[in-house]
Amino acid sequence: MNRRQFLLGTALGFAHAELFAENPPAFAFPLQADSVRFAIIGDSGTGGSAQFEVARQMVKQRAALPFTFVLMLGDNIYGGHSPSDLKKKFDEPYRPLLSEQIKFYASLGNHDNPDERFYEPFNMGGKRFYNFRRGNAEFFALDSNYMDPTQLDWLKKQLSLSSARWKICYFHHPLYSDAHFHGPDTDLRKRLEPLFEENHVDVVFCGHEHVYERLKPQNGIQYFVLGNSGELRAHDLRPAAEMAKGFDTDRCFAMFEIAGDRMYFETISRVGEVVDSGVIEKSK
Amino acid sequence: MRRAAYTVCVLLAVSWVSDAQPRVNADAALTADFLQRVTSYVKLHKEAAAGLPPLKPGTHNEGIPEYERLLRERIRELRAGAKQGDICTPAISAELRRLIGMAMRGADEKRIRESLRRAEPVILSLHVNDPFPEELPLQSTPPTLLLNLPRLPPEVDYRIAGNSLVLRDATANMVVDFVPNALGGRK
Repeated sequence: MNRRQFLLGTALGFAHAELFAENPPAFAFPLQADSVRFAIIGDSGTGGSAQFEVARQMVKQRAALPFTFVLMLGDNIYGGHSPSDLKKKFDEPYRPLLSEQIKFYASLGNHDNPDERFYEPFNMGGKRFYNFRRGNAEFFALDSNYMDPTQLDWLKKQLSLSSARWKICYFHHPLYSDAHFHGPDTDLRKRLEPLFEENHVDVVFCGHEHVYERLKPQNGIQYFVLGNSGELRAHDLRPAAEMAKGFDTDRCFAMFEIAGDRMYFETISRVGEVVDSGVIEKSK
Repeated sequence: MRRAAYTVCVLLAVSWVSDAQPRVNADAALTADFLQRVTSYVKLHKEAAAGLPPLKPGTHNEGIPEYERLLRERIRELRAGAKQGDICTPAISAELRRLIGMAMRGADEKRIRESLRRAEPVILSLHVNDPFPEELPLQSTPPTLLLNLPRLPPEVDYRIAGNSLVLRDATANMVVDFVPNALGGRK
């Protein structure tokens, strides 16, 4: 914790320091033979130098966890979507990963052109919402910009049909968030959370807020917000009882390994600092 | 006394049913009319798209905005002179406002308005056949509203811009029609 963070925490009169300065536990990924290894990025597509730095850090951190695919939590391409934009905001920053055959699986944010679903490197198969399976985990990419009855019906059916041990949903707008700028989308929460609970979803990843936050499990579901892989809204988090860990002073990404009934994770800042880590046990 | 009260209740119920039935039919007719107009638009959209290479993953990696522009041009040619109210007629607009009003009752209203505020709201000057500006975020539409509105085919969607409900061509990213003042007063 630096002096500014300490003073801010003191001035606001709550346990701010603990939320921001808690040291992550000593940690090593198990690198189990049949494990599922992936990374997440959110609100990444600025084309700015910070996005490139995070991308370089992702390449570097693959030494610790050689992840094989990346989930994109929306706002993948800000502003224009011309060929030069796609190159600058996706192809160039992630070229070292793409050349290693790392696959990206995008979900749509409010800054994305919905026709990005046809952009082949995003592996969306032309669909606004889709699912795919890796090992004992199934991933459901949702379009939270437009959660219409068709999508809700599809999600309900796919979740109920899934035999995966781990069910993981990801989309742009967070159901829970303690960031000041936007806050949680409670209407979306009302429609999605019952489906998640009913179908035993384990983990939910969202972006939209340009910070990192891990929440304490809500109704048995572990929620992450990570929307600072390109953009950053510094000092936007407001500590709350539901927050397990917050980080809002730099960009970051996170890496995950699912090994049996455990999910190991590590959140890494643009400069390589471990800002959060832990193990999530599969709920019985 | 009890018998008289019972009789009054029965009479009130009969009166309500006889009043409500035509209203339900009128509402259903407006929804059917709206969906028929949407179907006609989708037919036009398909006709416009038929002259272009199909938009599939990998076919337009380097030119999705260009594809959208070409599709918009063709649609504009096919519906030159289209104006606000062609699909969302005054009667249909009133019905859509009524359905939105039903969705925004009680606690739902607060939640929907919060959801709209937290989705980076945009204010646009709306014109039929114009594109949605690429540099602005596309505001999300609260799911509770979508649950109360007639289901649309995938070629079009409902979007919110300011206080208006927009019928958007989902692939050409353009305004097909819109309902002004759809959300009622800001609270």
